[in-house]
Amino acid sequence: MITQLSLELLKLVRSKGFYLSFAALSAFVLLMLWGFYSYAQQKTSGLATEQFKYTYESKSYFNGLTFTLYSLMFVFSLIIPIFVAMNAGGQIAGERRAGTLRMICIRPVSRVSIVLSKFLVVAIHTYVLLVFFIGLNLLVGLLFVGWGNLDLYPGPLNLVDEPGRILRDDALWRFFYASFSGTWALLVVAAIAMLLSVVFDNPVTAVAATLAVYLTLYIVGRIEFFATLRPFFFTTDMDFWRDVLKPEVPWHNSYHYACTCGAYIFGLLLAAVVIFDRKDLTN
Amino acid sequence: MRLKFLLGAFFILSLLGAIVLAPQRLSRNTDRSDGTVDEIRRHEGRRLRLLSWNIGNGDLESETRAHSEDLPIVAQVIMDNDPDAVALQELTGEDQLRLLLAHLKNRYRGYVCSPGSADRTDAVLIKDNGGSGRGDRSGRQDHNAHIDLGVRFDDVPAGDRFAAAATFRLHKDFPEIVLVSAHADAFSASRRRTFAADVVDWARSQTNAAIAFIAGDFNFEVSTRNKTNLFTDDAKHDSESYAYLLKYFRDLGRDAGETSINDRRIDYIFGPPEIVALHRAEVLRGIAVGRMDHWPLLVEVAL
Repeated sequence: MITQLSLELLKLVRSKGFYLSFAALSAFVLLMLWGFYSYAQQKTSGLATEQFKYTYESKSYFNGLTFTLYSLMFVFSLIIPIFVAMNAGGQIAGERRAGTLRMICIRPVSRVSIVLSKFLVVAIHTYVLLVFFIGLNLLVGLLFVGWGNLDLYPGPLNLVDEPGRILRDDALWRFFYASFSGTWALLVVAAIAMLLSVVFDNPVTAVAATLAVYLTLYIVGRIEFFATLRPFFFTTDMDFWRDVLKPEVPWHNSYHYACTCGAYIFGLLLAAVVIFDRKDLTN
Repeated sequence: MRLKFLLGAFFILSLLGAIVLAPQRLSRNTDRSDGTVDEIRRHEGRRLRLLSWNIGNGDLESETRAHSEDLPIVAQVIMDNDPDAVALQELTGEDQLRLLLAHLKNRYRGYVCSPGSADRTDAVLIKDNGGSGRGDRSGRQDHNAHIDLGVRFDDVPAGDRFAAAATFRLHKDFPEIVLVSAHADAFSASRRRTFAADVVDWARSQTNAAIAFIAGDFNFEVSTRNKTNLFTDDAKHDSESYAYLLKYFRDLGRDAGETSINDRRIDYIFGPPEIVALHRAEVLRGIAVGRMDHWPLLVEVAL
């Protein structure tokens, strides 16, 4: 299993997609910096300052931690899942497409360990991606926006019900926790992609189907008409990762949703393993 | 095979964990006091019961203000719950107030504010505890009649409209209480923010010797339950309004649940953060009359 894992890791670091994900996230950070900087300048002068005295658009509100929070919130829902799905969706179907799957399977390793080692590599990639993104944002935020406490208000980020504050050092720890909770939540997407990668022969189909499922549920879950269906979507459970960024972390709720995500991850992986184990590889 | 069993075991463990750790759903209709201070103090002191109710209608086709034919039931709800003071919104004017007071058998005295730029008014009702003024109707013309009983009514200028305020005492030994009945703009978050700020500033100016409460329909909702809030044109302005209110007041009905149709919590009773202990906060669901789109919010605090 260890050998298998190291081989898969080697494949990952040699793939272009691996570097593309970091490059894309770096570009996003630069874009965010430009947007955040110009927005903060515009909103902390003139009429806006008079309008907003206690929440947004004050000079104390805009700092490196707020920048990281906004950046992370936006990228987590819509950009990182794409890279996770791309990586996981290509794991089995990609090998089949390249004609290397049969060769891998005739080696004296179980098919289960092949799937699991590939999934572990996806998990490592996801965690590294999140840590890189958070670290880069904090660094850029520190250098270009400045430090301060993390002030949270009800409203656009939909994170808190009432105003709250996380002190700077505590906030840094919270971002560290978010790298784990975020990875765990994203592994649900990875598990779906892995299952579809086993089912479909074409990696593009697996990735597209994963993203279609994820984005459909994500968008539908945000439409009020489907509020009654929302609790049944895995995208709702995935939202637990943000709990660590609340002033008072609702640990009990977080454990519940983490377990629910765990059930999705292990259930889907089990299904993938069972299907792959019985699959007749003819190409 | 061992790995498959391991995956299966993790799957079952996660499933069990999710079931066992499922969040307890609090009944949103039940009393709730949070914090040990409340627990200790809830049995002490004089209770003050406040009720806030937007008695307007949600039907866009006809009159959206309060309907006079609904007032007997509104009066019955008030008498059944026996609040010390009531904040009502969306009355058509003084005529409706007089009618309501008559249905209340003159157990309450009331006041409607000037409409300002709005086509509807807010009212405050104060329970008449048997003073010599029983039977007074109030309204601006009766303003002086209440001074000797310690009840005072005011217009609160807020933005381009007014809120109604009453200053009263439950007992001569108790501090003065100020209740503001407010109704913020339904369509503009910016106007709501200005309105909320003015009401808060006015209420704070009264709090030297008095305990101030602000009640009413603020038309903003800041709950994280809403993934997309289709009812506001600017969530930041609403957040600013709420943050400013919470800077000086406590959201007493915070855990009472939705107060309006479409699962919205837009009616609030704000009270002082420390002086009073919350004993009860309840939305009286199911008693809206006709096509009313709000339910009354009842809050009871120990002074």
